[in-house]
Formats: sequence, structure tokens, C-alpha cells
Amino acid sequence: MFYLSRQTVSRHRSLYAGSFVALAVGVFLLGLAATATAATIAYKGPASSIISVMTLGGDGAEPRRMNVPMSGEDVSGLQVVLSMVGTISGFITIFVIASTFAFAVASRRRELGLLRLVGATPRRVRRMVLGEALVVAVAASLTGAVLAQLATPLLLRKASYSELAPVKLEPAAPWIPLAIAVAAGLLVAMLGARSAARRAGRVGPIDALRESALEGSRIGPVRIIFGLLFMAGAITMLTLIRPATGDGAVPLAMFAPMVMVIGLTLLAPLIVPLVGRLWALPLVAWTRVSGRLARSNVVAAPRRTASLAAPILAISAIAGSIVLSLSIAADTAGAQIRDAVKAPIVVTGGADVSRFPGVETVDAGLPLQLVRIDRDDAQLEDAEGIDPVMATRTRDLVALSGDLRGLTGNTVAVSKEMSGFENYRVGDEVPVTFLDRTSVKLRVVAIVKDAFGVNPSLLLPLDLVRAHAPKAVPDRQFVVPAANVDPAPLVTRLPNAQLATRWEADQADGVRKGNQLGLILLLGPAGFYSAIAIANTLLMGSLQRRREFVTSRLLGATPAQIRRMVLWESSLVGAVALSLGTAITITVGVLIRHAMTAGLIDVPLTVPWGVLLGIAGLCLILAIGSALAPTAYILRRSEPSAAVD
Amino acid sequence: MTATAPSYPTVAPIEPPALLLDGITKTYRSKAGAVDALRGVTYQFARGSFTAVMGPSGSGKSTLLQCAAGLDQPTNGTVVLNGAPLGGLSEVELTKLRRAEMGFVFQAYNLLPSLTVYDNVALPLRLTGRRPSRSDVHRVLEQVGLEGKAKRRPAELSGGQQQRVAIARALITKPSVFFADEPTGALDSGTSRQILGLLREATDRAGQTVVMVTHDPVAAAYAERVLFLSDGLLAGHLDRATPAQIAASMSDLER
Ligand SMILES: Nc1ncnc2c1ncn2[C@@H]1O[C@H](COP(=O)(O)OP(=O)(O)OP(=O)(O)O)[C@@H](O)[C@H]1O
Ligand SMILES: [Mg+2]
Repeated sequence: MFYLSRQTVSRHRSLYAGSFVALAVGVFLLGLAATATAATIAYKGPASSIISVMTLGGDGAEPRRMNVPMSGEDVSGLQVVLSMVGTISGFITIFVIASTFAFAVASRRRELGLLRLVGATPRRVRRMVLGEALVVAVAASLTGAVLAQLATPLLLRKASYSELAPVKLEPAAPWIPLAIAVAAGLLVAMLGARSAARRAGRVGPIDALRESALEGSRIGPVRIIFGLLFMAGAITMLTLIRPATGDGAVPLAMFAPMVMVIGLTLLAPLIVPLVGRLWALPLVAWTRVSGRLARSNVVAAPRRTASLAAPILAISAIAGSIVLSLSIAADTAGAQIRDAVKAPIVVTGGADVSRFPGVETVDAGLPLQLVRIDRDDAQLEDAEGIDPVMATRTRDLVALSGDLRGLTGNTVAVSKEMSGFENYRVGDEVPVTFLDRTSVKLRVVAIVKDAFGVNPSLLLPLDLVRAHAPKAVPDRQFVVPAANVDPAPLVTRLPNAQLATRWEADQADGVRKGNQLGLILLLGPAGFYSAIAIANTLLMGSLQRRREFVTSRLLGATPAQIRRMVLWESSLVGAVALSLGTAITITVGVLIRHAMTAGLIDVPLTVPWGVLLGIAGLCLILAIGSALAPTAYILRRSEPSAAVD
Repeated sequence: MTATAPSYPTVAPIEPPALLLDGITKTYRSKAGAVDALRGVTYQFARGSFTAVMGPSGSGKSTLLQCAAGLDQPTNGTVVLNGAPLGGLSEVELTKLRRAEMGFVFQAYNLLPSLTVYDNVALPLRLTGRRPSRSDVHRVLEQVGLEGKAKRRPAELSGGQQQRVAIARALITKPSVFFADEPTGALDSGTSRQILGLLREATDRAGQTVVMVTHDPVAAAYAERVLFLSDGLLAGHLDRATPAQIAASMSDLER
């Protein structure tokens, strides 16, 4: 049977080349993420900057020794980004591969029916499709792995001394990470091929005899139920997990659309014709034949359309959701900072301003880092030493339980968020190790309201901080002028002073800028891959239709008419995919904004129209371009007589 | 041992017909409404017979053939092949039965474009898991007059040659029943004659049964019996008729 596969692979070169490229690039990205992660794991910081602590243990966890890097000179930022890049690439790969194989099977319906007619059992057909997928998968995964290995040093050179990994990274042994990437590639391919193979097994011998190679749009109740479950699951996830900061929103804005994309794909045979018909209304009204033809091609073959639309849907939904959610997170951060600062003036840096005339209260908190130890982990945390009397005047610092006046000696006030995660209550003791390597137990005296961007999660007495970090200087001070002093002129007299409103706006801008780098890192590879996948699927789609185009030429269609039909058709596919992607983006955006802005009023809404429209436009251009190019090529190369073979 | 056994007259076993259709109906349901393509067809195809099925377009000929070959399920009625009803068979059992007992020839030649002539012909044997012997394949190729073309691909053959490849592919498994749907529909009269001769030979020499749907009275005249189908019902038959007689009956039906 293998000889059959070999022959068909060479005949459907464009189909398999498409699958090959999609998988090879996917494995390349996964491999790159894996080798880079290996390099970050292999990275050992200089021994002098490491604090060695024992975790507490208990509740099933053994106490263990942990080495916590003392400075920001670690690679955890890069590791987080790499794991997200790997997740997104992996998802899009699964998605693209599954739809590519589904598309390949749909295009070969007649041929598979013929095999059934001359005596192949459904099982045999299934195995054949799986066998072919395996050949393509092995070749593609190995190619991807080799490319990843070649590109790793380049990536590490770029990543070294960057914001995310301010250290020098060296390539580690590539075998394990590349083996993981190859295995993932094979697994993804075989999973994707499995459903395609199952569908191939359902092709009946009679399908060889019917002219139309179309597959119906009927889908089973199980599939509908699963589709709805996925949608419901994503929405539940969004309503239950209430991210408070951008760091919490990104994973959610990544996973929720993935789940919804799966849900919509399951429902595609139902939804695609509806949306397609809607978008086709203007086309049919404006054009004479080509719009009508395009509509029937898109609507009558919903599975084919869904396969073509899949990569556009996936990337537009994921990229759109992440971009929008990060913008919402920045808006929220702005509002949170705004609400958390009561003082009208902010002084940047440590200059002593308390003696300036007109200044009444100066809240000069001292930042420091410490290692917080819990049962099974120890982490470097940001903390701030404050004078509770001053700080409660300049900031919205309210004890939800306990009393801030008790913040003296070995005590700590914990933010509501951290107390929620770690289950700290007033009276509990938090073991910490300062960077001067002294270990103390801090008693929790209060749980305070979250104030992201203004207060860190741990607030310590000022004196305790001075004792353990004598060189600490404030990086910003909140200043309240005397009762009858106008802050505006006072600002001009104080060194490095700003009105609080300006400072707040700058902070929000800073958040937005910081997000940008993350966005590029996160969506860059996924976008690159999706672009290839979009071009790939539509190219495949057009190359498969040589015969149809040539027959239309025979019937008297001019090349221009056929090109117009393909233009409208690919636009329709793109429009359908983008509509669904937009629907997902809006759902995620609305729910995340709802969750994040709970308890805040007057949160501005910045929609990054430019980026969102840019993503949509790029998807459309790619889709149309890669459908038209092969069409033009086919039309130029073939005479109408070629239809009669 | 001298005693002779008493000799009884041997009763010829009642040989089942190659193919039995019993009260076949077929209704296609679609959004546009239901179509009764067959409305109760009962008929026995004797072993070794060559039967042509004729009728106006849309009368249900192709549907009849597809139901008879188990390619499609009849709505009602049973199909019995060599004494075995097709009704309760699973898809896999049907497939195995089909590849052992049936051969197909259609108007569209239905060859796999990526395979050579040789591989196309050998395919059914390979699908049964047997290794086709070269001599077997070459023998059937010779039988249909395609010796020397084994290495070509379908696109490099004429229509008549492709149809002969399809016949060779049907012949190689030595099926007991041939189903042919307008096998000469796209061919000129000379080539048609060759194809029909091959089918005729199959019944005469090998005792295989042929059921052939056709529009062409000349083609139908190769059959011993012509069945007429009209509106999903059998509307009579002619035995050993000339093309002119067949054409006359057809125009009666179409009126
Ligand atoms: N898959 C189908 N779905 C719905 N109706 C069908 C289907 N196949 C055939 N029909 C209808 O069943 C009837 C019989 O069709 P069939 O193909 O058997 O006719 P035929 O006698 O072979 O015609 P022709 O000589 O034109 O090939 C026709 O009215 C046809 O429209
Ligand atoms: Mg017919």
C-alpha cells in the first residue's frame, strides 16, 4: 500500500508541500523555543549573587534548598516569554496541520472513493492517509529541527543582554529540546491526520461516481455539543478568572481565544455558510457572475472554506485578543495608579524635599528586594519600606483587615492579591531573607487594598528596610503641599517634580511601551508562522483547482472573469474568518475589561485600531494574494483544451 | 469390493441466480424534496447472462445499478448476490464481497491518474493483500489489447484505451458479476465494439454475468436480453433483439 502513498504524494505535490511547509515551520519555532529554553536552564548566574534558602516544607512538600538569584540578572523573563511563544506556535501548528490534512482529504474525495470502489476497505483508506501523513511529518519535523538548531546561536545572540535576559546565553546540548520538538511535531501531525483519516474512511465508493466532490455541511450532534462546550468553557474561564494586571491578562487572552477558535472550528460547517452568505450580499449585488460564483463556492463547501479560513481565524483571534487585552490592561493600570495616588505631586528620585517651603507631607518609601519563602518555593519579591502615617496620607492605603499602625519592628502589610494567592491572614508569620542574608519572620499586621503600579505586594516598616538595605534610596516620593499652597507653582520649584496627573499618565505610557516588546516577542513568531500558513493554504486551494479553472475557460470564461471569481472568493473566505476572529476578540476584550475594571470607575478605553486593522489587512492581503498568484499562473500556462484529459 | 452401490438419479442442485433483486425501491431525499428513483424492481440475473438495461434519462438505471452492486442502500427490498443477501453486511464485508465478486466499468474511466496502467490494473489484487503476478497482469492487458502500454499513465492514453484499462482492472479479480454504466458512452463506434466484445467474451468464455446500462441500441444488441426501465419500474424486455427493434421500443417508451 505504501507504493500507492508514494505515488499519490508525488501527484498531490502541492497538498503535501503545503503540509510539509506548515509542519516544518511549526517544528522550527517549537525547536527554537525549546533550545533557547534549554540555554536559559543551563545558565548559571555568578555564585556571589545567589541566596541559598530552605523552603518550609509541609503539606506533602519536603523542605528543599533553593538558590534564588539576587539581582534581576536572571532569565526567568525570557523563560516565560519562550513558554508562551511555544504554546502559541504549538497551538497554531496543531490547528494549521489539522486543517491542511482535512483539506487534502476533501480535495481527494473522488480518488478515495475510487479506491473504495476497487476494493479498499475504509480501514485501508484510513491507514493510507495516516501513512502519508507520517511520511510528511517525519520529513518535516526533521527539517524543522535542523533549521532550529542552525538558528539557535543567532537567537541566543539576540536574546543575550536584552531586557528579558540581561545575561550572556550559550547554546546548551540540543538533543533533548530538539527531540521534544520533533516528537511534538510528529504528535501534532498524527493528531491532525487522525481526524482527516477518519473522514477519509467515511468516503464511500459511490463518491467516485458522483460528479460533485463536495462534502455536505451536516455535522453530528456530538460535534455541535462539543463546539458549544468549548465556547461556553472559554467564556466561563474569562468570567471566573479575574486578572488584575497585564501579567495575569496575557495568558488568559492567549488561552481563551484558542479555546474559542477550537469551538468555532467545530461549529464551522454551520456558521461559515451563514456568515459567507451575509458577506456575499454586496458582492452579488455589485458583480454580474463572479460574485455569485464566489458565493456558491464558499457556501456550498463549508468544510473547504473552513480549512482555508482556519489560519486566518486562529491568528486574528489570538493576536487581536492579546493586543486588545494588553491595551485594556494598560488602561486599567492607568486608572489603578490614578486611584492609588492621593498626593498631587510626585518627585522622582531620592532628593530630600521635606524642607522646601510649602511642602507638608513627604512620603519617601524605600524600595528593596527580599526573598520570600513559603512551603515549596522561594522567590525574590519587591517590597517597600513605608512610614504608615505619611503613606496613608499620600496614597489610597487602606487596611482591609488588621491595622497599619502596628507596622513597626519585624512586621509586614500584605496586598490583598498576594494574601489571596498565599493565603496570608493577619497574625501569620512570613519567613523572608534579606539580601544582606539575614533571615527573619515578619508578622502580618494588615491586609491592604491592591494598588498596582504604586504599592508592591509587601510593605515593611521604614526602619526595618533601613537596617537591611542601608543604601536604598526612594525612586519616587509622594508630596502633599501645605493647606493653602497651589501644587502647580510648587512643582516648578521642587527638583524632579511632576504633577501627579502627569506622572500617572507617564506610568500608564510606560506600561504600554513595556507591553509592546512583549507583544512583538509573543506575536512575532506566531504571526510569521500564520502568514506562511495563510499563504500556504490558499496557494494549495488554488493549485488544486487547475481543472476547474481550465473547464471554465472551455465554457467561455475569460481569464479576467476567473481571476475576479478567485479574488471575490478569497476575499469572502478572508471576510468570514476575520468576522469570526473579530467576534472572538470582542468577546475576550469585553469580558477581560469587565473583570479588570471591577471596582474602578472612569477607566478610559483605548482601542489600538491601527494594530488591529493592520492585522486584519495583512491577513486579507496575504489571503487574496496567495489565491490569485497561482490562479494567474495556471491560467497563463494552460490552454482550454487541457480540460479534456 | 464387488458390490455396486445403487445409483440414484442425481438431482441437479438448483443454482441460485447470480444476482437477485427483490422489490427494490429507492427514494432520494434532499432539501428540494423526495425523488422516487426506483419504485419496486424485482428481477433475477441468471449466471452467465449478459443483460442490458435501457430507459429514458432519469428513469433510474444508474440507481438500479448502484443498489444492485451494494454501492448504495436501497430504501426497501433486498439484493442477493450468489445466494447471499447484501442487506445485513457491514461496510467492510461489503467491500470484501465487492472486490471478490464484482467488477465495475463506468462512463468516466475512473482510473487513478497517479498510477501507471500496470499499477491501476494490479490495484484490486494488491488491495486484497495478494501480490499480483506479473504474468496475470500482462495476460489481462493482452486480453484487452493493451500489451506494451503497461508503463503509461492514464493521461497518456486515448479514451478507448483508458476504458480498456478499466475493463482489465475489472477482469483481473475474475469477478462473477460485471456492472457497467454506459461503458461506451464516450467512445466512437469502433472502440465501442471492442469494449462490448470484451464484455461479451466475459460471459461466453468465463461464465461471468454482465449487467450493463446503456443508451445505445447498438450496444444493447450485444446483450441477450434488454430490460426497459421507465419511471423507476421495469417496463418490459426484449430477447436477442436487433438494434432497430430496440430503438423502436425505446422510442415507444420515451413517448
Ligand atoms: N444523489 C441523488 N440525490 C437526489 N436525487 C437523485 C440522486 N441520484 C439520482 N437522483 C434522481 O433519481 C432519478 C434517477 O436517477 P438515475 O441517475 O438513476 O437516472 P438514469 O436512468 O441513470 O439517468 P441517465 O440516463 O440520465 O443517466 C433522477 O430523477 C435523479 O434526479
Ligand atoms: Mg445514469
